[in-house]
Amino acid sequence: MEFALEVRDLVKTYAGGVRALDGVGLGVRRGEIHALCGENGAGKTTLAAIAAGRLRASGGSVERAGTAGFVPQHRQLVERMRAWENVVLGREPRRGARLDAAAARERVRALSAAYGLPVDPDARIETLDAGAQQRVEILRELAREPALLILDEPTAALAPAESAALFATLRALAARGVASLIVTHDLNDVAAHAERITVLRAGRVVARFEGGTDVRAIARAMVGGAVPALADRVPRATAPCFEIRGLVAGDGAGAVRGLDLDVRAGEIVGVAGVEGNGQRALADAVAGVLRYRGTQRLDGAELAPGDPAARIAAGIRTIPRDRQREGLVLDWSLSENLALGDQRRAPLRRGLGLDRRAARERARAVVERFDVRAPSLDARASALSGGNQQKLLAGRALAETPRLLLACEPTRGIDVGAAALLRSRLIEARNAGVAVLAISLDLDELFEIADRIVVLFRGAAAGEFARDAFERGALGAALAGLDAR
Amino acid sequence: MKRGAWLPALVLVLAGAGATLLAGANPLNAAVELLRGALGGPQPLAETLVQTASLLFPALAVAFALRAGFFNIGADGQAVAGGLAAGLAGAAWPGAGTAALLAALAAGTLAGGAWGALAGALRGRFGGSEVIATLMLNVLAGLLASYLLGGPLRAPGATGPETAALPESAWLPVLLPDSRLTLALPLALALAVALQFVLTRTVYGFELRAAGKAPEVARRAGVDLGSLAFGTLTLSGAIAGLGGATIVTGILHRFDPALSPGYGFIGIAVALVGGLEPLGVVLAAFAFAILQSGSLTMQAFAHVPKDVVALLEGLAILTLASRRALVARAPAR
Repeated sequence: MEFALEVRDLVKTYAGGVRALDGVGLGVRRGEIHALCGENGAGKTTLAAIAAGRLRASGGSVERAGTAGFVPQHRQLVERMRAWENVVLGREPRRGARLDAAAARERVRALSAAYGLPVDPDARIETLDAGAQQRVEILRELAREPALLILDEPTAALAPAESAALFATLRALAARGVASLIVTHDLNDVAAHAERITVLRAGRVVARFEGGTDVRAIARAMVGGAVPALADRVPRATAPCFEIRGLVAGDGAGAVRGLDLDVRAGEIVGVAGVEGNGQRALADAVAGVLRYRGTQRLDGAELAPGDPAARIAAGIRTIPRDRQREGLVLDWSLSENLALGDQRRAPLRRGLGLDRRAARERARAVVERFDVRAPSLDARASALSGGNQQKLLAGRALAETPRLLLACEPTRGIDVGAAALLRSRLIEARNAGVAVLAISLDLDELFEIADRIVVLFRGAAAGEFARDAFERGALGAALAGLDAR
Repeated sequence: MKRGAWLPALVLVLAGAGATLLAGANPLNAAVELLRGALGGPQPLAETLVQTASLLFPALAVAFALRAGFFNIGADGQAVAGGLAAGLAGAAWPGAGTAALLAALAAGTLAGGAWGALAGALRGRFGGSEVIATLMLNVLAGLLASYLLGGPLRAPGATGPETAALPESAWLPVLLPDSRLTLALPLALALAVALQFVLTRTVYGFELRAAGKAPEVARRAGVDLGSLAFGTLTLSGAIAGLGGATIVTGILHRFDPALSPGYGFIGIAVALVGGLEPLGVVLAAFAFAILQSGSLTMQAFAHVPKDVVALLEGLAILTLASRRALVARAPAR
């Protein structure tokens, strides 16, 4: 068989009548890197899950040349176990009734060396960064010797250097005849690395491209027209708003070590950096969930460390970095989720009671303004696609005009159209006088929205660039910790 | 109703029938005798309702705490603390009339709350496990009661660890003559309605449910998880303590350390079967009460050991635990 995977006329209808796939055909050749692109809700993840054998199709056929490995978007690892334990879980080498730990470690070490995926077999998953966790997950799948590796949004949580390493691995696999099917929003990755590209929209294949195709042509096919332009930046006077002095927070490699930072009302300050240079500690310290030394002032008043409620009351709102773990109660309805954080203030609070009608009105307004695509306000947050969940969180943070908006990876893992909408809303908030602190691994995003970019390196500011001085070379040097001046 | 929601019930009925067959009796006959013993006439029904009330307080206490993500397995200890306080307060002022009853109920609520607050403080302030704390406090409550009633607070002429008998004015009013059915039942039902309201309509209930579902999300939304643990476990203990006080003032008319024979643990099952919704817990408590109060009749007339009922109660939890797997395998409509 020429194909590692061949699907024909695939149909998937979910309970409730939502048709996620509507007659999709797709062939992944042996040893090729194939990209599957599309907006949120286009059916990509459904197709990937069916191809991997994790979900049953309602109609059509799926043929695989061998087994298929699947690396889902959200890690599926046992956090408290070690890397080698996760890799062999379910297929443990035995000696009699006992687990042969030495053999298992050796197998993991051999796999790791063979595929160029550096992993410490004895590290606990919870201590590893996103890139290393993903490598563990890929090793686990490779241990089954698949003919095809399916990766859902593999670069969403990775720093640029880690993405490059991932694609090097995929190319090495391809050379050995192992095909990859990558589900992704990142069109630059697609154009640079994929040999063929299939674009889905609304459950159908709308275009097929060869590698090297112009990114804009792929984007047009995805959104079914031109990519929406961003909101205009209105020139405006800024005023002092939020200041950080001598911030020390967190521990280990990702700590913040003496950071000074100002965010003025009416500007977007982007924080760039390679993952693990203190972004998480900075975000948590500003959100009030991490203790710190140093000072933070909002409009001149010093904020107490470690009191999220006081910060919300002072007008700080957050788009958290991890929408499922930090942002949403997945079991709850849209309207309950949108009340979270403002439950102690009018109009949602009335005496001791929570005004459910006010909560619904607010939800209706947010859903409309942020184009959240959901069956109803009573739908569960878990039923929404990643992009719509992200719109929900941004909408919640901007439901009223905050003083300071902390936006962590505001468009990670979501499609071009939704990302453009959210970036426009951030710019509009800036135009309205909000101080916006945007922490993002995506440099292109910061180039689009930021008035200033501060580069974070080993927990301190390693360079600052005004909008008219954005330049990849100098920024890249600062990101790598080289002196930019 | 959700697709396949009937499956756990079906499994339960079949398992009950199977167990009855194994015991060498006719399942249909057993079921009839069970229901007759629980519901056949005013007196059996009253006794079933007495059981319902006794189960309802601890079950509501467990359900409320569990909605916030805290496992209170100490409802028995909180009931003992509450019952002891109620017994002491109710007997303290023999001439006080109805005030003695109110004092007894209030003292029971406060003492149960204090017992819950101990676990709440350990959890909220120091991050200790509330499961261990409430479990250990069960033992402590019994020992404390024995010590106090055997020593410093020994009632004149008492033979065991009991308080003096309560004056009749401190008894809960009986609703049905010649039965043990008292105001405890309406009190428990009102409490269930109040808790439902707190959970669905108040800011506190909203924050509590958020913390129960996703603590990290709640924390970032401004919920102080430490005070929430303290407040919720205190309230949970107060509910169980009030339950202990109703048993003392309504049934025993004096404190006895054995006032809560495992209600706190059956209460966990009732809370789970009731889906942690206060009104669902009311229905579950009634169902469990039917099993409890009908089991003796079933044993006597259908010759089925009443242990089959205990088996069914255990199976109810098992089927509930496997509900998701069962429902997932249910045929589509």
